[in-house]
Amino acid sequence: MSFTLTLDGKPVLIKILRRHPKLVLEIDGREHVVDPDAESESHAQVLDIDGRVVRFTRAGADDRCMVRLAGRTFVITVPDASALGGSADDQGSEVRAPMPGTVVSIHKSAGHAVKRGDALLTIESMKLQMVLNAGRDGIVGELLRREGERFDKDDILARLADENREG
Amino acid sequence: MRKIQSSLGTSSTEFRRREAYHRDLVRQFREKQDAARHRRPQRDLERLRQQGKMLPRERIEKLLDPCTPFLELSSLAANMAYEGDAPSASCITGIGIVSGKEVLIHANDSTIKGGAWYPLTVKKVVRAMDIAIENRLPVIHLCDSAGGFLQLQSELFADRQMAGRIFRNQTQLSKMGVKQVALVFGHCTAGGAYVPALSDYNVIVRGTGAVFLGGPPLVKAATGEDVTVAELGGAEMHTSVSGTCDYPAVDEGDAIRIGREIVAQWETANKWACQRETPEDPAYDPEELYGILPDDIKIQFDMREVIARIVDGSRFHEYQPAYGQTLVCGFANIWGFKVGILANNGVLFNDSSLKGAHFIELCNQNNTPLVFLQNITGYIIGRDYERRGITKDGAKMIMAQSCSRVPKFTVMCNGSFGAGNYGMCGRAFDARFVFGWPNHQIGVMGSDQAANTLAEVKLNQMTRSGETIDREEIERVRADTRKAYQQQLSAYYATSELWDDGMIDPVDTRNALGIAISASLNAPLGDAGYGVFRF
Amino acid sequence: MNIRTPPFEKVLIANRGEIATRIIRTLREMGICSVAIHHRIERRSRHVEAADEAIEIFGETPVSAHLDGPQIIAAALAQGAQAIHPGYGFLSENASFARSVREAGLTFIGPDAETISLMGDKISARTFAEAQGVPVAPSVIPTGDLGAFIHAAERIGFPLLVKAAAGGGGKGMSIVRSADGLAEAARIAASEAERYFGDGRVYAERYIERPRHIEVQVLGDGLGNAIHLFERECSVQRRFQKIIEEAPAVALPGPLREEICAAATRLAAAARYKNAGTVEFILGADGQFYFLEMNTRLQVEHPVTEMITGLDLVRTQVEIAADMGLPLAQSDVRSHGHAIECRICAEDPGRDFLPEIGVIDYLNVPSEPYLRFENALREGQKITADFDPMLAKLVVHGPDRGHAVERGIGALRDLAILGVRTNVDYLAGILDHEAFRAGEVHTGFVAEHSSALLQVLSDHQVLDAAIIVGALGFRAFRDAVFSVPQPHASMEDWRN
Repeated sequence: MSFTLTLDGKPVLIKILRRHPKLVLEIDGREHVVDPDAESESHAQVLDIDGRVVRFTRAGADDRCMVRLAGRTFVITVPDASALGGSADDQGSEVRAPMPGTVVSIHKSAGHAVKRGDALLTIESMKLQMVLNAGRDGIVGELLRREGERFDKDDILARLADENREG
Repeated sequence: MRKIQSSLGTSSTEFRRREAYHRDLVRQFREKQDAARHRRPQRDLERLRQQGKMLPRERIEKLLDPCTPFLELSSLAANMAYEGDAPSASCITGIGIVSGKEVLIHANDSTIKGGAWYPLTVKKVVRAMDIAIENRLPVIHLCDSAGGFLQLQSELFADRQMAGRIFRNQTQLSKMGVKQVALVFGHCTAGGAYVPALSDYNVIVRGTGAVFLGGPPLVKAATGEDVTVAELGGAEMHTSVSGTCDYPAVDEGDAIRIGREIVAQWETANKWACQRETPEDPAYDPEELYGILPDDIKIQFDMREVIARIVDGSRFHEYQPAYGQTLVCGFANIWGFKVGILANNGVLFNDSSLKGAHFIELCNQNNTPLVFLQNITGYIIGRDYERRGITKDGAKMIMAQSCSRVPKFTVMCNGSFGAGNYGMCGRAFDARFVFGWPNHQIGVMGSDQAANTLAEVKLNQMTRSGETIDREEIERVRADTRKAYQQQLSAYYATSELWDDGMIDPVDTRNALGIAISASLNAPLGDAGYGVFRF
Repeated sequence: MNIRTPPFEKVLIANRGEIATRIIRTLREMGICSVAIHHRIERRSRHVEAADEAIEIFGETPVSAHLDGPQIIAAALAQGAQAIHPGYGFLSENASFARSVREAGLTFIGPDAETISLMGDKISARTFAEAQGVPVAPSVIPTGDLGAFIHAAERIGFPLLVKAAAGGGGKGMSIVRSADGLAEAARIAASEAERYFGDGRVYAERYIERPRHIEVQVLGDGLGNAIHLFERECSVQRRFQKIIEEAPAVALPGPLREEICAAATRLAAAARYKNAGTVEFILGADGQFYFLEMNTRLQVEHPVTEMITGLDLVRTQVEIAADMGLPLAQSDVRSHGHAIECRICAEDPGRDFLPEIGVIDYLNVPSEPYLRFENALREGQKITADFDPMLAKLVVHGPDRGHAVERGIGALRDLAILGVRTNVDYLAGILDHEAFRAGEVHTGFVAEHSSALLQVLSDHQVLDAAIIVGALGFRAFRDAVFSVPQPHASMEDWRN
């Protein structure tokens, strides 16, 4: 199994060939012996690659890091892992009440553009409040309940209009 | 520990001849194995692709951690059954690393009759679950099966060790606190529905995954209800309404990713601390095994030469080197793990039986796993030996071996006959893993011996009844017996019937044992103690 | 002058970021209490931390808060400051702000409001310069009669530069190469000027091909006395924005240098200029130079002048504002060595210099006696679109230009700013470029060599090393390498 990373936007395949006695990695067919002997003074570190000492600094988060070595700065990313499966309604076009309750407040009115995950309504049921989010990017089509109105479980509270397609 | 000094002439004609012979045997093995693993009717492969499914082996490769080994078990199960209709018994089992943890993988092969369970499929899965229980290995089920192969239901359903045992094993595994996750890639129907249901966690693929006790046709026939697969048991329904399934996945890749993430949440196993050193490759080339093994089952060879090509640094501490010399006993390391090895250099005599029993006791006292390298035609027979108590001595060896608290591993290197199989920890004696080399034979006795014995019986019969001695008849008995035995003695027959956990290339023995021993350490040692030794 | 008593007790800096930090440093040395202003979004900035006191300012946007003159003056009064230093940008060249500061009884550390007005209007500035015998590029101002305008423009000769009278920073500017495009260019420039500067007046002047941008640092005491502190060369620009500046100008013949500096001084003196200012010129390949404009404030690139003259310009500004006069006589002004400044910005050269936003994950600044890193950065700081993308200025000095270039390249290579893309490597590429080293600089340098500058070649060794380092920075990869148990880790991808 290879890992696909991107280096400054270009995809690169890196493979683990061997771990012992030395770590051997393969990049696009080229093999490298790596000795990850890190002396970490904050981010400044040292690696031994093919017998050469490589000084570098590296900083970053889970799927993107910046590396500075040999007088250049690189951005390396891991392509997005797919998100966990979504809600019962695949399209995300309908916002249904998960339980009976009342609408506390409406955050986006009809015609508002929303992104997936944006808060649409806050509802309350049995003294618990929860926020219902947009299941996908789009535009708020219609709101079927006003603030203060009651609803039953599975009632559709809002609809997103047909997905906005960019030209 | 001293290195075994090999006295092998690797350039002798004999060596070369044997080597050519065994290389050829292995080549044939690999061909059969390759066909069992990959040769499928084109239309079955296309059907899978159209359904958007990955091949079962592709799923496994994606599931496993990169650059890690996979020990496949019983790859040639059912190779001599069902006219070859169920290669590998329609399922893949093995031990690998997922998210850094040792797991047992059990995958349906939906490229064969939709993954239907043949009787040997059931036997293979039950065995896999037994391995999970004995070794406390977490299990990942890759479910994609049409259900039981109805034409052979009488051989796979009702009995104690048949299909129900799979589910019983799942419950016991769960009770032991050992985790299971099921990835539902296809249909899990009827009994098969219990695999995900009895797993601690499960993931189901949208569109292709389904779990139901009865599929739409059965439901229609039983109650007249019209219902689609999705409505009856699809991902949507089970993950949001019934709660039967835990995680919906958008596709197979997603399901595997979720499965890996689930495994990553599991605690790391607590293994008991088997004595361990830094591993070292054998000093001798393992491929020399091909030239060590004889090309005739009756010809003896020195097991020390075999040991030298399996153990770390070829170093071996031999126990009682001068006594009971037909059984070689000693300590060695395999992939760093300290083991006690028993290997046959001839039939078992009184002294070798006692030596074996004592050595086994030493290993149990020292918490050292046992490795049995079998090449045994049996115990010595004859009046003198009976008077010296060979039966008792054989019994003592069996008692010691069978009551061992340490895990045991058996490799059938050549012959595995009669009571010798018992003493040397054959299948019935709960070795954690049993492997066989392509050249090995296993049976109550060798074909020649059996043929001669039965011919002798026939002769005696004729003599007693006063018939004329029909030499031709006797020869026919001899020939028929030999022929029948030859088929049933072969390693292929044994592995087809799942009398072992897989045929392996002799050269792969070291790695197979390394993975097997490592897996076995997940279960705590058994209780100490033996039954009564008939002294 | 009593050295021990500082000229002001307390000064408010009407600015932020790098320049605020720079000003605070000098104020501290002078024993003057500093007051920083900040919008809520930058309350944890380094310039706020560095100052003795800080006060929050409010506005719809962070920039609008910094442009709220009355609020800032009120803040200064509330804190008991006696003077306001405007830095550069924001309100530094806002004549009505300068006036309001004065009317509030505070000292504006900069020129008089009247001077700011004069020089702020490009057309009136040109007229004034011309009157002082400072060469100006032939130009034409549209008077509403388009025909006459075009006729006059043609007499000057193409190519022409159409510019906004009230503007700067490249906005409302375009090059017109023939009469056809002139009317349209004038119309567009006028509307842009209206939009950015609220003043739609434009003019056209001769466009000098491959011009060099030479500017002179001047100081005036407001009483008609002015000196110059030599010139700077700011020819390396991208879309009219300076990115590399140096002092002195590259290979300027002595007499020409004297002539330019003298013209600038003459202008400042005639304007009775008070405090620090910069007179900008365009120098053609033929040795002809023309007045461009005068900036009535401290400039971004002032450190290069400081490094070759050894003077602290902020200190000079404060002293002049306190009516302490000019710091030294012209004859005492000496220049030694060469200095280069690189403007480091959060932008992606690979995507047409798109401004970057993100967080500074890591900052490592080389430390050398010949190096200044003017910044207000800290690790963990968020870089947002609220303010200018310039993060810092790297300034190096050397005994000659060659040394300065080498030191500059070395410093840029050692500098590590991780978390957002920057133009650090791009700048190093410019310094390292053959033509730059040879001093063949002009305002079209970047455009001329753009493909060479953007193409950064790295051999596989370097790229692979970067990938390996990057891969080992990701948990999933590290786990796959290190978290596999033995003996499996050694068996690699064995299959039976």
